[in-house]
Amino acid sequence: MSGRCPPVDHAKNAASFTADAKRAHWHDEALWFVRQKRDRAAKSVPEWEALRETAEAVKAHTLKHLGYYLERFEERAKANGIEVYWARDAAEHNAIVARLLNEHGAERVVKSKSMLTEECGLNPHLESLGIEVTDTDLGERIVQLAGDHPSHIVLPAIHMKKEDVSRIFAEHLQTDPENSDPGYLTRAARRHLRRKFLEADAAITGVNFALAEEGAFVVCTNEGNADLGTALPGLHIACMGLEKILPSAKELGIFTRLLARSATGQAITTYTSHFRKPRPGGRLCVVIVDNGRSRLLRGEYAKTLSCIRCGACMNTCPVYRRSGGHSYGYVIPGPIGSVLAGAREVATYASLPFACSLCASCDNVCPVRIDLHKTLYREREEAIDIPCYAGKKRLLHLMSWVLQRPRLYGLLMGAMRFLLPRLPRPLLYSRFNVWGRDRETPMPAPRSFRDLYRERRSR
Amino acid sequence: MNARETILNALKERREAPADRPLFEKEPMRFDDLSEAFATALEAAGGEAVETEEVSAEAIAGHFRFEGRILDTRESGEALSRRDGIGLVIVEGAFGVAENGAVWIDPKERYPRELLTLAENVAVVLKKGAIVATMHEAYERIDFSGISYALFMAGPSKTADIEQALVIGAHGAIGMRVFLQGR
Ligand code: SF4
Repeated sequence: MSGRCPPVDHAKNAASFTADAKRAHWHDEALWFVRQKRDRAAKSVPEWEALRETAEAVKAHTLKHLGYYLERFEERAKANGIEVYWARDAAEHNAIVARLLNEHGAERVVKSKSMLTEECGLNPHLESLGIEVTDTDLGERIVQLAGDHPSHIVLPAIHMKKEDVSRIFAEHLQTDPENSDPGYLTRAARRHLRRKFLEADAAITGVNFALAEEGAFVVCTNEGNADLGTALPGLHIACMGLEKILPSAKELGIFTRLLARSATGQAITTYTSHFRKPRPGGRLCVVIVDNGRSRLLRGEYAKTLSCIRCGACMNTCPVYRRSGGHSYGYVIPGPIGSVLAGAREVATYASLPFACSLCASCDNVCPVRIDLHKTLYREREEAIDIPCYAGKKRLLHLMSWVLQRPRLYGLLMGAMRFLLPRLPRPLLYSRFNVWGRDRETPMPAPRSFRDLYRERRSR
Repeated sequence: MNARETILNALKERREAPADRPLFEKEPMRFDDLSEAFATALEAAGGEAVETEEVSAEAIAGHFRFEGRILDTRESGEALSRRDGIGLVIVEGAFGVAENGAVWIDPKERYPRELLTLAENVAVVLKKGAIVATMHEAYERIDFSGISYALFMAGPSKTADIEQALVIGAHGAIGMRVFLQGR
């Protein structure tokens, strides 16, 4: 049976994360704190809900006319001197980027945050060609030096403690292994990365928003790494998923108000940078990537393409906070990651839709109002059909059969009320009772609800 | 078919020009005192707003503690192209945004864009009257036709990537002040 089971098992992966209870607790609290900051920021804007509704409508509209807006963007961007390239999949994307770097004779590249290049596996590809890629976002640099992957789309190193960072920096940046002060470590990274910035021959960035009407694009960071990285070298390559497009700069009013508030609770990112023309004497290239997106757009999960990657759904998710990003086994973790992974490949990621309590908190914080929990529920229905879950499915059928027979149900519940309190602990907390793992099984009330209800009615 | 054609072909039902499009039509938030709101928001972003009529390079430099050169981009000169040891750069801001403390800075090819991030400190000189309430008004104001690279900057460079502890001065400016001039 195990051979047919999904290679990504969320619960199993989470077990190693939760093994260190203190750390798991810290993770939970840290993200909850970010969620609370988000709440305060959202509440300070009286028109917040109207903004979300408009953002949802703008994204739906843009996706509906996606072909039009992409062509418009291309035309306008070219008129501004930007080169535009198209890639059907990850391999094409990586090949285009490698070719551009090659033409430029680039050996050292600085990269700012881009989940797309992570999705395409760009770094390993470039490294295999002998090109040095330096991730310049501090969190991404930490995970890169550690040979690890981001566990959150906005806070890539949230799974690490400062002692871990201190150890990694001591090894790679020769910092004092005894010093794990975040200020000290950040300063060390600043010096190290400043050198990388000055030496770089080319810069790669992601794209937060591309503007069809203006033929320009926007990159948002707090560190300024995209700005510094692209300012010096003669080549800037910006990689964007084709869903990143907006009709015009007017819509930025809506999205810049939502993005940072949803992500970290800031009113705006420190740097909201607009690129419209190459720097004097330089080249500015945009690579538009499909990689499954146009297919997604035709299916029932099309709305997930509205995502602006703010990470709010992760910060609020009770499962994500307690299981960590790596448990999801996909580039993007949390509610949106589960949805995207399932839409891409049900069999591999079948455990992810079940890593959800259906509390719908994600739907309520999502700035573009994606109905994440409903989508996860739908994906469950697909996921349960894989062979590995056949037993689980039979059990659910049995359950539904029982639930349709109130008499039988009442009888069984009566037996449980009698049995449970009398069962010896070793039996009750055997490995078959997953509900008894890490917690006490709640004991049934002495009388059933139906009993009490009947009694009350007859009074 | 090449990649471009394949992708656009996959979107062929989505290539029609839209007749109209959704816009944000609600009245956004308002502030009684724009410059006060701006100052509060900028402070929350780790920066500082200073109301002053003294905006000479000397006077501005007095508000910062730094080593290295001062570059005043309001004057042009050879020095602007040198990259090392910039303690303070002084630039003009076009307008500010009250809701978040951001200022719109457009180097307009008058000075190299890297000065904004290489400098240890950034001073922005802004007309006090040039503050709008929200990002909606902000984007109404920008004429993109002349822009090459321009940005909203809200406070100094920062990160919280190590255990969520906020550290000012990740890659760019460690100090950022906006000097509000006039009425
Ligand atoms: S799904 Fe919504 S909340 Fe989650 S990252 Fe995307 S935009 Fe943010």
